[in-house]
Amino acid sequence: MTKMTRRVLQVTTACAALMAGSVAMADERPAAMIIAQGGLGDGSWNDTANAGFLSGLEKTGIEGRPIESADVAAQGEEIMRRAADGGFGLVISLEWIHGEPMEMLAKDYPDTNWVIMNQTRSGDNIASVVFGEHEGSFLAGALAAQVTTDTSIQGINADATIGVIGGFKAPGIDKFIVGYIQGAKAVNPDIDVKVAYADSFGDPAKGLQMANAMFDEGADIIYQVAGGTGIGIIEAAKARGHYAIGVDSDQDGMAPGNVLTSMVKRVDVAVDEIVTDYAADNFPGGEVIQFGLAQNGVALSDMTHTKDKIPAAYVERVNTYRDQIIAGDVDVWDVSSQGYPDFFQ
Amino acid sequence: MSSNVASRSIGILLPLVVSLIVSGAVLLAIGKNPLDVFGLIATESFGNPRRIAATLSAATPLLFTAVATAICFRSGVFNVGVEGAFLVGGLAAIFLGFTLPATWGFALFPVCFLAAALIGAIWLYVPGILLAKFEVDEVVSTLMLNFIAVAITGYLVNGPLLSPLSGNNVTPLIHEVAYLPRLMPPSTLHAGFLIGLVCVAAYGYWCRYTPAGFEGALIGLNQRFSRAVGISVPRTIVGVMILSGVIAGIGGAAHGMGQMHRFSDGFSPGYGFTGMAVALLGRNHPIGIVLGAILFGALASAGTTIQLFSNIPLDLVNIIQGTVMIFAVVELGRISLRRKKGTANAN
Repeated sequence: MTKMTRRVLQVTTACAALMAGSVAMADERPAAMIIAQGGLGDGSWNDTANAGFLSGLEKTGIEGRPIESADVAAQGEEIMRRAADGGFGLVISLEWIHGEPMEMLAKDYPDTNWVIMNQTRSGDNIASVVFGEHEGSFLAGALAAQVTTDTSIQGINADATIGVIGGFKAPGIDKFIVGYIQGAKAVNPDIDVKVAYADSFGDPAKGLQMANAMFDEGADIIYQVAGGTGIGIIEAAKARGHYAIGVDSDQDGMAPGNVLTSMVKRVDVAVDEIVTDYAADNFPGGEVIQFGLAQNGVALSDMTHTKDKIPAAYVERVNTYRDQIIAGDVDVWDVSSQGYPDFFQ
Repeated sequence: MSSNVASRSIGILLPLVVSLIVSGAVLLAIGKNPLDVFGLIATESFGNPRRIAATLSAATPLLFTAVATAICFRSGVFNVGVEGAFLVGGLAAIFLGFTLPATWGFALFPVCFLAAALIGAIWLYVPGILLAKFEVDEVVSTLMLNFIAVAITGYLVNGPLLSPLSGNNVTPLIHEVAYLPRLMPPSTLHAGFLIGLVCVAAYGYWCRYTPAGFEGALIGLNQRFSRAVGISVPRTIVGVMILSGVIAGIGGAAHGMGQMHRFSDGFSPGYGFTGMAVALLGRNHPIGIVLGAILFGALASAGTTIQLFSNIPLDLVNIIQGTVMIFAVVELGRISLRRKKGTANAN
């Protein structure tokens, strides 16, 4: 082969490679999703996200794997770097603590697409997924406000009093609480919403105690926004024959019949959509993606154990609010982006 | 001496070989080629400098917890409370790391490490004195103390020490000046690894060349004889427990300031317990401990990253780890048998 022909060959192959690149626009590099503490089989956050991940992969034909580690907190950075080195095009982490290392790694690997949950991280190739918890909480409040005065339902008194217990006084938690209050007031402007903070996400005994105190004050439905502390709130509802409202995952089954509904974060929907966008070469890098009611990112649970206990009209009214929020006819206050409203400081 | 070395290497190799056979059988059963998988694990552990650094990074906390365990085990004190001391020591260092003013600069290092060592020492002093003075079984007391450590640290990171920026069980980050430097950036391997090696070396020196180390070994071999030659058994027990707490606390500080930079739920996924396996596998010998820590570090690190390149579940790596641990514990049976024989002979 002469020097010239070799040269020509090189140029043509280079052109062919370029063409191939521009024809196959879509990213076909594999995707990895790092499972958070608790691992697969937690029946909650990780399992839900994995379901969405697998469905997204199946739809798009992208190859991908959930990655588990017994030491996910400490090894996150190494795992993510290995994935990027290993040619993965999309790296999702479900672990909150991976936010800082991801922000750092994203700079080193500009060709990799990164996804973090429940926080905002800056970087052109990072998509931050946040959920419209305020909107879902609005619906929970609207439902509770209707139920709380209907004495035909077992465990409900005549007082227009409901409660909410948060883990901490912090904007991230008050986002739920303000939405809940707003939803309750939309139904009944005179309703009394009792608000308390447990100052802990991991103290079920305190949750139980505080919920009992609220029940003593006339509340019959308490929304728990307190993580592990909330388990005590649900227990109290069960022991007293009143109601709790679950949060984050579908907690209706934790005390069947005593959890009115749960404000569910549909992390499966979020992950599914991210994978689909990535496969379509439409990755929302640098964006904060809101998964609210419109995106089906938050929702009330199916109320498997309670839907027969309460009049269907209540649920219909909640659905009407949902449609109005999606249509933009009702604005729900978002503490995390708007600060505190006048009716709640 | 040479037969000693040979028996030690067999002691380390045998559990590994057996576990490879067992997990190989499992792999065959699920239709995988064991050689491919083991090859992948080997390259993911040691294939290039970056992977070696990742392995050593994962091994770092185990150096501390293994030494802390070995200090007690060789004295016949079955302290299983290293996990708890690691947690409370780590939290103490982290707390000071974000509470003290950043202007302290390098002074933060000795302060945080000293505090962690002190807290760790106090933590294990309690079961030590209970055993020495009141013969409270140390396995029970130290195991219970682990639960208390998990509960206390869990309460603190979910409550008083929770980062205001987050709704998730984490403290704020420590000041950047208090981060231990990384040895091979961008790998997370940090100076804590060197501190760990220093601890292993100091432990080796202590065992071999100090009276306290000799007394520790002696009460492990035969308490009656030790008493007869004038060694205070209670004092030695309390001594090894305190030393164990110091090393575990320092380990927690190194992990916190080098790797995590904050305390969180999951700060230690059971390093104290893996450290026990490492100490047993390494026969309480410094070199054995280093090799054992690297082996378990490799399994932890490669066990995760092989999932990127094959559909091998984490469970398989757990099987390998589990069988290594079981066959390492076989040696524990031998130790206690020897102990009994020793006592019988003394009688």
